[in-house]
Amino acid sequence: MSSEFNLISELKDKTLILRTEGYLNNVGGEQIVHKVSEHLNKNINKVIIDLEKSKVVNSIGISYLIDVIEQLNQNNGKLIFTNLDPTIEKTFKIMGLFQFAEKADSIDAALS
Amino acid sequence: MLEQNNLVERLSLQAESFQEGFEILSKASSFRELTLNFAHLLRGNFIIKDLYLLHKAAEDSEWEGVGLDNKFSSSDLSYLSSSNNLNISYYDKQKFCASIVLPLSNLSFLGILLGLKLDGSAFNDFDKITLQILLQIFNSAHKSFLNQKKEKELIFGLNEKIFQLNHLIDTGIELSRFEKRSTLYEMALERISSLTNASAGLIKIEDLDHNPQQYFLFPSGTDLENVLKSELKIQTSFEHRNRIYHFVLSGKETRKGLTSFNELDQLLFEAVTRQVSTAIENEFLLQQSIEKELIEKELNVAALIQQRIIPKELPKIEGYEIAGINIPSKEVGGDYYDYIALNNGKVALVIADVTGKGISAALLVNTLNASLYSYLEFDLPLTEITDRLNKLIYRSSPSDKFITFFMAVLDPESGVLEIVNAGHNPILLLRKDGSLEKIDAGGLGLGMLDLGLPYSGQSLKLETGDNLFLYTDGIPEAMNENEELYSDERMISFLKNNSEKPAGEFINALVTDVRSFVGTAKQSDDITVMILSKK
Repeated sequence: MSSEFNLISELKDKTLILRTEGYLNNVGGEQIVHKVSEHLNKNINKVIIDLEKSKVVNSIGISYLIDVIEQLNQNNGKLIFTNLDPTIEKTFKIMGLFQFAEKADSIDAALS
Repeated sequence: MLEQNNLVERLSLQAESFQEGFEILSKASSFRELTLNFAHLLRGNFIIKDLYLLHKAAEDSEWEGVGLDNKFSSSDLSYLSSSNNLNISYYDKQKFCASIVLPLSNLSFLGILLGLKLDGSAFNDFDKITLQILLQIFNSAHKSFLNQKKEKELIFGLNEKIFQLNHLIDTGIELSRFEKRSTLYEMALERISSLTNASAGLIKIEDLDHNPQQYFLFPSGTDLENVLKSELKIQTSFEHRNRIYHFVLSGKETRKGLTSFNELDQLLFEAVTRQVSTAIENEFLLQQSIEKELIEKELNVAALIQQRIIPKELPKIEGYEIAGINIPSKEVGGDYYDYIALNNGKVALVIADVTGKGISAALLVNTLNASLYSYLEFDLPLTEITDRLNKLIYRSSPSDKFITFFMAVLDPESGVLEIVNAGHNPILLLRKDGSLEKIDAGGLGLGMLDLGLPYSGQSLKLETGDNLFLYTDGIPEAMNENEELYSDERMISFLKNNSEKPAGEFINALVTDVRSFVGTAKQSDDITVMILSKK
């Protein structure tokens, strides 16, 4: 069953930028965790997840994002969400993600 | 004794490092991190190079390596006791110094194979006690880790419930604001999939014969058949205005794969579908309201037009009194009366009643009025005018619409009336001596048939004191709450008893009498009446 989730990654210095597209669910969450794990060996200290093209997220997807936060915390890294849909931003707030991660309006703002 | 004291002293010195070890282990955020940190502790305390950590989830599970360099062989596993209790075995001059099987509080097991110490020595008493302490530290840290995990899961679960509740409320608000129907369905699918962790959702709209008309899928690339055939699905449906809306969700996601939806999911699912149903109904009601407003505007315009046709005031004819009134039962009615001064000094009195009411009846009245004026210009015989009107109305009206029509042309000087009655109720002529004539000669109502059947006319003369009474059936058929009709008899009786009154007063008195009879019952038909009295 296609969920049509796409993940594009880009490395800028010590920052990993992930751009998601589609339903951020089990499949999407796993891809994000896997990609972050791949790059943790490369001394990244910041991960930016851009959700501009993801308008729907479920709690399974969120649980994987929490895993990413924990992974980064172990490595003294930081997670920043960008271009959040207002509904998703509200969801993240309720789920407590912003206690451990940040948000920014854009990737450029997150990089600066 | 001295040896024991030395042991105690050495262990006391180690207390702080044990404490630090526990703190390090307690900070682990995963079982893997916990075991790897423990491996570091073991290596640091015993100065050993090779160390294998294994884990099995349950008594009858297989041992699996934990950590990066776990290249153990099956023969290595033989060192691990098959007992399910705590077992620590020490070896001399073998591959391993010690093997440990540690039961954990969650009924899993940690297996540890300690390789040879770098200095080649065997485990002494101090090492054995240290090992036992470290194992206890690990056990405590593992319990702490499990508690933290449970606490996190609990917090996550509580937050999830809050999220679901908030999301459900927001969904209801958002669905009520949708602008396009397709947006409504897409939003509903996205929201309910997110709420229930569904991997896919479907809305199928079909007619009452179950012919599918539209599908909406989430995510957009989802295979329709997979959703419909899924064994892990929930569905619900509702009917609205000859369409059936089916909602299906399939494949509830968990970290461990797909599972069945639970009762809460079903509740959330049905709540959202009810919100969709309400939104659709509200859209329909809004549309109806807009259409009603448009119709009312059109009716107002039609009423204005019709009011221009109905004479506001009937003119004075020397030697005669004339009065009339039209009270439509709706804003726009189907009754019509008029007074037309002709070029030859004569006067045409017209009364008509269109089948039906409302705007369609009013439009037909307008047609009648316009064409009548036009034909009267040509000084044609009444029967021919009526025939032409019949053909015109027949062509321009639906088959179920026709007009009952009465026209009288008065020569004021002679008092002669030329009359045609096309299907209208008999017009009453009350003579001064109290005798009553009913005038109904003519033909069929206008627009009923066009078979070329000629209309017949009639001629009579008004004398002083005579009253010509024109009316539509809204008078005799006016009904009160007891479903009694005003009736022809009552109307004729009123005419006879009040014919002396001036025309205007007569009309008002008749309307008052009819309204008094009807009481609080709703006016069921237009009321139109005209009286011509020769004085």
